[in-house]
Amino acid sequence: MKMSKSIYRVIIPFLIIHISLVSFAEVNELSDYYKTIRCLVCEGQSIQESDTEFSINLREQIQKKYSSGISIEEINQELIKIYGEEISFNPPKNHILLWGTPLIVLIIIFIFIRNKIKFFKRV
Amino acid sequence: MKRHLLLPVVGLIVLVVSVLFYFNQSTNKNNSRDDVSNLIFETPDFYNNKLINENTLGEFYIVNFFASWCKPCLAEHPLLMEMKKKGVKIIGINFRDDEENFKEWINEHGNPFEYVLRDDGTIAYEMGLIGVPETFFIVNKITQKKIQGPLFYEDVEKYL
Amino acid sequence: MISYLGNSFIYISLVLTILFYTNLLKKVIPSTTSSLKLIYFINLIPFVLLVYAFSISDFTLLNVVENSYVDDPIFYKVTSAWGSHEGSILLWVFLINLFGVFFLYKNQTLEIHKNILFISTLFILYVVVSSNPFTYVEANENVLGLGLNPILQHFLFVIHPPTLFLGYIGLIIPFVVSAHMLVNKNFSEKLFKEMLIWSKISWFFLTGGIVLGSYWAYSELGWGGWWFWDPVENISLIPWLLNTALIHSLQVSIKSNQLKLWSLNLGLYCFIASVFGTFLVRSNLIVSVHSFATDPLRGLFLIIIIAYLLAMTVRLNIKSISNFNEDSFNLLSRESFLLLNNIFFICSALVVFIGTVYPLFSEMILKTSVSVGAPYYNFAFNLLLAPLILFMAFAPQINWGKHEKKDKQIPFIIIFSLLICLVSYYFSKNFYFALSVFITVPLFLKSILVLKNNFKKNISFYSQWLAHLSIGFFIIAAVYTEQFDYEENLLFEKESTNEIKLQNNKTAIIKNIKDEKFQNYQRISVDLLIYDGQKEKELSPSKNIYQPSGQVTSEVSTTNKLFSQYYATISTIESNKVGINLVYKPFINLLWLSTIMLVFSIFLSVVKKR
Repeated sequence: MKMSKSIYRVIIPFLIIHISLVSFAEVNELSDYYKTIRCLVCEGQSIQESDTEFSINLREQIQKKYSSGISIEEINQELIKIYGEEISFNPPKNHILLWGTPLIVLIIIFIFIRNKIKFFKRV
Repeated sequence: MKRHLLLPVVGLIVLVVSVLFYFNQSTNKNNSRDDVSNLIFETPDFYNNKLINENTLGEFYIVNFFASWCKPCLAEHPLLMEMKKKGVKIIGINFRDDEENFKEWINEHGNPFEYVLRDDGTIAYEMGLIGVPETFFIVNKITQKKIQGPLFYEDVEKYL
Repeated sequence: MISYLGNSFIYISLVLTILFYTNLLKKVIPSTTSSLKLIYFINLIPFVLLVYAFSISDFTLLNVVENSYVDDPIFYKVTSAWGSHEGSILLWVFLINLFGVFFLYKNQTLEIHKNILFISTLFILYVVVSSNPFTYVEANENVLGLGLNPILQHFLFVIHPPTLFLGYIGLIIPFVVSAHMLVNKNFSEKLFKEMLIWSKISWFFLTGGIVLGSYWAYSELGWGGWWFWDPVENISLIPWLLNTALIHSLQVSIKSNQLKLWSLNLGLYCFIASVFGTFLVRSNLIVSVHSFATDPLRGLFLIIIIAYLLAMTVRLNIKSISNFNEDSFNLLSRESFLLLNNIFFICSALVVFIGTVYPLFSEMILKTSVSVGAPYYNFAFNLLLAPLILFMAFAPQINWGKHEKKDKQIPFIIIFSLLICLVSYYFSKNFYFALSVFITVPLFLKSILVLKNNFKKNISFYSQWLAHLSIGFFIIAAVYTEQFDYEENLLFEKESTNEIKLQNNKTAIIKNIKDEKFQNYQRISVDLLIYDGQKEKELSPSKNIYQPSGQVTSEVSTTNKLFSQYYATISTIESNKVGINLVYKPFINLLWLSTIMLVFSIFLSVVKKR
């Protein structure tokens, strides 16, 4: 039991720092942002990676908006409004099942470790 | 160990499902923009350099995106000509095109459009264009139908 | 002729299989081993025939007409045999039987081979019902063939699909062996060892196949990306992750006699995952660059096969689940860390699975279409794999059973790597790179310390460290490439601009434009020089126009600078101007090198057993 308590002291802060670090990394450059926008006419590529008229135009329009001072977040909102959620490779966070899975999985792993100490040792 | 895992796992699943259903309502809305971009009425016509007169357009009209470099646009061109004859008002938007090529294209194949606007991509972006040719059927400034790719006879049968 | 032969061999094999299962074959051939050999060999023939038909361009086969062109080089003619859906399923059958034959030399247990044969027959039925490549058409002298898709005309494409398929199908051996062991409750060490070897062989091919595919995408698709979370890549990653877990848990089963049921159940799911992957690709359920089947019957039949295999698996799971708690071991032991590794890998596989099928789910249930891409997977993998890599540095040093000795180096290593991490953050201002430094530095340090002290251990020790080290190199290289690459669009105009200054004070100069004709394509290439004052690097990206389709592909040209690479493609080419897309990929070669090391390490550990 003593062991498991000390494990908690290490794991829980680690978990909190880890999750927050990973989730707060943001895109703040245009070329990185392009990589999250799907080219709707070319199956699975982003507009950064494709040279179709659609992608070229979207890049130009986004560039124009960005240099006129509109933030990437606002541009993204507008794009989703025009083209639907499909346009973004970065689905909105309200898809709980999708975004929640890694978190839940991580928590289950730690529950598993905790249980393992108690139960596997008993035999 | 299995017993002790069961409870949190089931609890989490229930939580996820309920939250999911809660958010379901907000994600379910139709995201595409229905109204026509105002840019259409702010851009002057290519030939007579005047803005589109909304009153002469009437309730129903068609917005067609085309370009001279686009081969499928040629395929639907005869249908557009046909519709013009029947009195359907079509606004043609020339998408990212070279001016000379565009003029040549219209001269060679004929002009089915009531108004022709030249677009550097801004109107296309606002209207959510995916690729030329694309056609919007508009009633009372609301997009009723959108056809991506060339029109076929069946699509426009009722206007002919 | 070939159409006739191919069909007859398929039917002969079906008849023989039925005779074999009803024990009627025994009356003709008394030995089961030789009758098994016979059936396996007959099942190998149809694919060989198909390859032959492609190599001589036999246009009496519809499949050849649709996927091959008479003037294609012989190399690509052969490739076309598995470039189509029908051919690739036949290759699948061929490989199942190939593994069957090889496994027959090692192990003659009838039940196991019956299972292999059964799965092979399911796929042969699939070939017969919905994707028969031996469909006959009237020969016509004017038929020249429609040609193989030009982007598939690449030497890597010749080896990538078969390698990947070898990896997928290699998992059939762990599958049938674990099914056999679970059914008969026969947990002999010999079978576990066999399972380990075969899963390592499969891992070798699987890793190789994934890397080749990735390299193909990098060098052919022309945007400098090497991994783009395409559904097809994801579904090849799922069996890979599960197989990695399997290799680790089998160590525990063999060395310390624990986690046996765990490994066996995992062994079942590895193969299920690879069949499921094939199903997703072939059924066109998920739109992706790779899918080329559109017939709903094909998907339906595959889903029946999967449902059947899955039902069998779940039945075996339920049978064994009550015995799961039998294992017991200490927290600080090699076993518990290997179990932890397993959980991380299985969970990552689960995350990839969710991400891949979520768009489908969302479209059917939530009625919104979403795209799940790199941002999601980056998030999930950072979350899950970062702790795993940290453990990887220390776990291999922990003893089996119970670890008594305290490792005094750990705090120093952690502090040291934190320090390096902070320094690298200070210089690079990049969170991802700093994180990757933090998780990999302990691994490198530990490797140096360990290798210094244990100089004469055996090969398996070295292969393990090599594998872990190459994962470390891979992560550093991958993160560095992705975070610090940069792209420039250069527009050259004839007469006026021949020279463009680049971001890093180098100059790009355009030389001449060439137009050449080859056997089945025409190439327009541009010679580009990158000049940095003393040295110059030469690049010649090109556009190829293929016959007969007239399809145009952009060919990439690269030039190396130690571990980094310039990567150029032509974006536009007109009479008066040339647009070139130049990407600088730092450390990309280290990435490929680390994957080669990874594949080599598993090769070592398979070979040493012989």
